[in-house]
Amino acid sequence: MALKTLEIIKKRLEERPKEIEKARREGQKVVGWQGYNIPEEIIYALGLIPVRIGVGGDDRMVEIGARYISTKNCVFVRETVGLFAENNDPYVQNTDILAFDATCLQTYRTAEIIQYYFNKEVLILGVPRNFYWPEAKVYFTKEVEYFTRRLEKQAGKKLNYQILADTIGLYDRIRNAIVTIYTYQAAAGNYLSWEETYDLIHAGYYLDRREYLSLLEQVLAELREKQGQPFIEAVEGEARIFLSGSVLPPGDKKLIKIIQEVGGRIVGDDLWSGLIPYLDVKIPENSLQGLAVGYLNRTPHGALPYLDLDTDRRIKRLKELIQTFKAQGVIYHTLRYCDPYTFKAKETKDILQKEGIPLLEIHTEYAGSDFEAIRTRVEAFVEMLKNRYDEEVAV
Amino acid sequence: MANVSAFAGVDVGSLGTKTVILVDGEIAGYSILRTGINTEENGLHGLETALENAGLKREDLKYIVATGYGRISAPYADKTVTEITCHAKGAHYLHPQTRTIIDMGGQDCKAIRLDEDGNVTDFAMNDKCAAGTGRFLEVMANVFKVSLDELGPLSLRATEVLPVSSTCTVFAESETVSLLARGERPENIIIGIHHAIANRVGGMFSRVGIESDVFFSGGVAKNIGMRKALEDVLKVKIVEPKKDPQLVGAIGAAVIAQNSWKRGR
Ligand code: SF4
Repeated sequence: MALKTLEIIKKRLEERPKEIEKARREGQKVVGWQGYNIPEEIIYALGLIPVRIGVGGDDRMVEIGARYISTKNCVFVRETVGLFAENNDPYVQNTDILAFDATCLQTYRTAEIIQYYFNKEVLILGVPRNFYWPEAKVYFTKEVEYFTRRLEKQAGKKLNYQILADTIGLYDRIRNAIVTIYTYQAAAGNYLSWEETYDLIHAGYYLDRREYLSLLEQVLAELREKQGQPFIEAVEGEARIFLSGSVLPPGDKKLIKIIQEVGGRIVGDDLWSGLIPYLDVKIPENSLQGLAVGYLNRTPHGALPYLDLDTDRRIKRLKELIQTFKAQGVIYHTLRYCDPYTFKAKETKDILQKEGIPLLEIHTEYAGSDFEAIRTRVEAFVEMLKNRYDEEVAV
Repeated sequence: MANVSAFAGVDVGSLGTKTVILVDGEIAGYSILRTGINTEENGLHGLETALENAGLKREDLKYIVATGYGRISAPYADKTVTEITCHAKGAHYLHPQTRTIIDMGGQDCKAIRLDEDGNVTDFAMNDKCAAGTGRFLEVMANVFKVSLDELGPLSLRATEVLPVSSTCTVFAESETVSLLARGERPENIIIGIHHAIANRVGGMFSRVGIESDVFFSGGVAKNIGMRKALEDVLKVKIVEPKKDPQLVGAIGAAVIAQNSWKRGR
């Protein structure tokens, strides 16, 4: 099923660390960032190399991280700290400056730990707790301005607004391409799986963004040729699953593999390591305020409190996406000590239940010891979804 | 028997291997054996014993469904189905009005909700610790130096419910030993243990809800004290099982085997 462009991307990802090393030798600086609300456009427009750092799924690295950060933090942030402690990851090695946003307070704590123990230059972008107030716009704009001034210092130049306009255009095209590719993966007779699409998103964490866009467009061209117009429909016998909840960063494939092994088909997600950051981004004007407002108007990250369940954009978007991708059930993934998403699991389940959409919560971490226990739950959930279509196990 | 169409459900659990043979929708034979190291052999042995019990031969079997944690090594089965789906089908077969199942097995416990056709609509599972499992009660029976079967009846002789705060096997064991050393009556401690487990199990229902009729399945369901404690704590009436509750998963598997064969898959 693999598309040709996926092979090219794989190769380019292998070559990328060396390329970044070379660029640094030639004087370019690399900004490693983590979070949800960092306007990456500014980093790119200043001629800095943005790299999204953070991987998952490695329990050994979590243990190393836990020497520096409390074990009551999620495994994702513990592994991030572990990456810096071990300093073997080529992207971590080649990071000049780190940028974190304060969306999730655990990532914020990670930034402090990394600065304290590993002497990294860390920039923090403040994030309003309530995205819905007009004051949030003022606050976030000021934060983005301050963030930009500090990045300008690192870049040794002022932000050029013509370049910023071009960069916003480039990022808009990346976002559009990703959203369109998602439609293809969820369609009947798909040539690209959700997992491949997810990997494709993660490739964009590392590759040069201009090259990334051209690769995405190549993927789209291949899909158009092979698949034609995508048509999303639920096929009998399928268990179409929507993934929600805590981050599933590059490297954390446990749950994904289990779902596929037991015959489930993932068709969409609203993960911040997946589709959601690319949706609904409308930058109203070519300015820092425009960027701030554009980012604020996206679906907020789960670490921010619900204000009113009926009007919450996350719930609304979740329901819309479930419909768009014709998902039959939601697997809500929560990482141990990821309070932001774990607390919301029950509410989300109750809301979706009223609409007849079942939700299975899978609470896990990176150790493999719960593999069979998760497998039984996911398998039973898949059986339950299939059974709604296919009465083969009905009395 | 000539031209018989028999169907088997094999439930290889962590402590027991249960097999049920269904002929014309009726239970024709069954077996309950202790699970050993080789789960494939356990399943096959269970199958042979149940066939013998039913007076049938292997050739009479048209379809076999394996379930339980040992389902992953069951090459003899035509199909594998999770124990969650099987318990729902089994409880529905025995008592069609069942809407909620409390299943307490050797190493995990589950809360299952089902619709009027016996289809699962929601479930929660606790397999992170031994609380609410057969294994936990086995350890406790050891502390009191009684057999597992005696625990339930003993608890019914209690004069008061002594609070046992821990459902962690290790802590509950030492808590029990200290209560005994303090001179408390064993029956009162045993009922306290049953209540502690019931409270723990109640936590699962906060996630899936509870609706009558409530069916209690799994090996622990044979324990009359546990059943009474669940009724008291959850404030529900548990239906009288018409068959051994330990067989429910295997019955469900056999029902699925019969339906799958009828539908040609
Ligand atoms: S939102 Fe959850 S998974 Fe993400 S960094 Fe925060 S605690 Fe970890």
